[in-house]
Amino acid sequence: MTAVENPMDPAAGAGTGDAAPPESVTVMAELRSHLWKSKAGISGIVICSLFVLAAVAGPWLPLIKDPTKQSLPDRLTPPVGWGGTWAHPLGTDQLGRDILARLIDGARISLLVSVTAVIIAAVLGTVLGLIAGYMGGKIDTLIVSAADVQMAFPGVLAGLILVAAFGPSVWLVIIVIAISSWMVFTRVGRGLVFTLKTSLYVEASELAGASSRRIMWRHLLPNLVSSLITLCVLELAAAILSESAFAFLGFGVQPPRSSWGLMIQQGRNYVTGDGWWIVTFAGMAIAIVVLGVNLLSLWLQSFNDVAEREQIVLERPGG
Amino acid sequence: MLRWLAKRIIAAALVVFVVTSLVFVVTHIFTDPATVSLPLEASQEDRASRRASLGLDRPLSVQYWDFLSGLVVGDLGESFFQTQPASKLVFERLPATLRLVAGATAVTVLMAAPMGMLAAWWERRFADHAVLGFSMASISAPPFWIGYLLIIVFAVQLGWVPTFGSSGFKSLILPSFAIGLASAGRLAQMTRRGIVEELRKPYAVTAMSRGFSRSYTIVHHTFRNVASGFVTMTGWEVTRMFTGYTVVIEVVFSWPGVGRLAVEAINDRDLILVQAAVVVLATMVVLTNLLVDIARRLIDPRVDLA
Repeated sequence: MTAVENPMDPAAGAGTGDAAPPESVTVMAELRSHLWKSKAGISGIVICSLFVLAAVAGPWLPLIKDPTKQSLPDRLTPPVGWGGTWAHPLGTDQLGRDILARLIDGARISLLVSVTAVIIAAVLGTVLGLIAGYMGGKIDTLIVSAADVQMAFPGVLAGLILVAAFGPSVWLVIIVIAISSWMVFTRVGRGLVFTLKTSLYVEASELAGASSRRIMWRHLLPNLVSSLITLCVLELAAAILSESAFAFLGFGVQPPRSSWGLMIQQGRNYVTGDGWWIVTFAGMAIAIVVLGVNLLSLWLQSFNDVAEREQIVLERPGG
Repeated sequence: MLRWLAKRIIAAALVVFVVTSLVFVVTHIFTDPATVSLPLEASQEDRASRRASLGLDRPLSVQYWDFLSGLVVGDLGESFFQTQPASKLVFERLPATLRLVAGATAVTVLMAAPMGMLAAWWERRFADHAVLGFSMASISAPPFWIGYLLIIVFAVQLGWVPTFGSSGFKSLILPSFAIGLASAGRLAQMTRRGIVEELRKPYAVTAMSRGFSRSYTIVHHTFRNVASGFVTMTGWEVTRMFTGYTVVIEVVFSWPGVGRLAVEAINDRDLILVQAAVVVLATMVVLTNLLVDIARRLIDPRVDLA
């Protein structure tokens, strides 16, 4: 870890503000050059790409076995290095299914659930945040109170009640994760709109007679995008962890489909005996992917900070 | 102060009221405890008689009034599966959950405060990077997996502590760490960031230019100023524990707490008991937030908490 720069450090890269980029440098190019300097960013991108690749192309990858094929004679084969063979590099589970194949299959459900949930939360939360911040007044009070109540009634509790009422399902998990994260987008979006709505260009378009919807959609929203993307990545890490927790409790994906959380639940009886690899590898898959997403989010935060600082330098009177 | 406290308590009670009403909407309007308790293929007559026996054939407004007035006196209905008052079942389990949260909070605070200070002291040096590495690893690993890893290493391999269950202080250690590590990771970074920001302020620079060492300035000057934020963030972590971590960790360690009770009740299709457990856990969250606000006000009377 010694070589990793500390992107949580507010002072990191403070010197870069003096060298304002030439106008021709686009945001994407700047993003790329910033990425190459950040080991956290690179590692995050690599891990996340592998995760998406496994999720999307899993079944077509060469040498990967059928994740549902049982073979009782092969049950609880240890991984390579602990007496196993390359036929099952990470060993097999209690029903003789290949662990590597099941991990790759589990990536799909994890990606599907977490990304869908975050998109729903981001869209809903941002729209409410825009409306609350721009309209103000009673609508604002109402939306802020709703967000406050949601903060006091976090998603897992809502999840327990909903699962008890409607039975376990993947869609329910998506909805529960979305419910537990929309208010984050609302709060951040509202806060940003508050500072933006007094700016000159918003007042100018108000005077020009633009409708509220147009101002929110065309003038305010584009200014929120970079902060919201950073927030999406941060929430994605939480969503992946939530999905695995729900699957672990048996409230998400149902067998025979596999999910990392479900693999831990099914393998937990073998933790103390001869089957430690089921829980260990499934948990490792979750931890590595979440770590990748967290690294990506750290890097995006540090990039946003630098960009903001440069913005301040550029807007400085006489600067 | 009293006026402020009264206002704050009323606001907290209001949140409990709204949350419990939302729970009622799900458990009595979207579905009902009788439907949940019966298998899908149950006949209409079975459903009707089950509804009648649970008092669900009365008007919703009457049921809602019953629910609310029961709530005030601590009556949370009767568990269908265990045929006992739900509140009794939940409150029997509550001390175990509180013990677990207390243990996890102790782990969190005792790890986060020194780690945050060390990272700030040796800013951008090895200790800082090591603490960041710990934080990233601990917040990325799912807590239930950490629980199993701790079981494999410390209970199975080394045999230092019991594997499952709740028998005395020793059995509290592993679950507390399983929950506390992630919280400590987050809190350590917050503490570090707060101290580093404070160290750049004129009063801290003055203190150091008068010859106080960096460590002395951190402990005696800046930490008091980040204490308010530290308490708030600790409160956040405690609410996370009540509403997520304890549920999965209690399942991992067979800990006899409210979270595991809720999971068991879901498997028993016992909606009333799930509802009772959720209402109690949500109340704990609201109480935690209230206590945090009071503590912040006591630490820093300037804090405006209108």
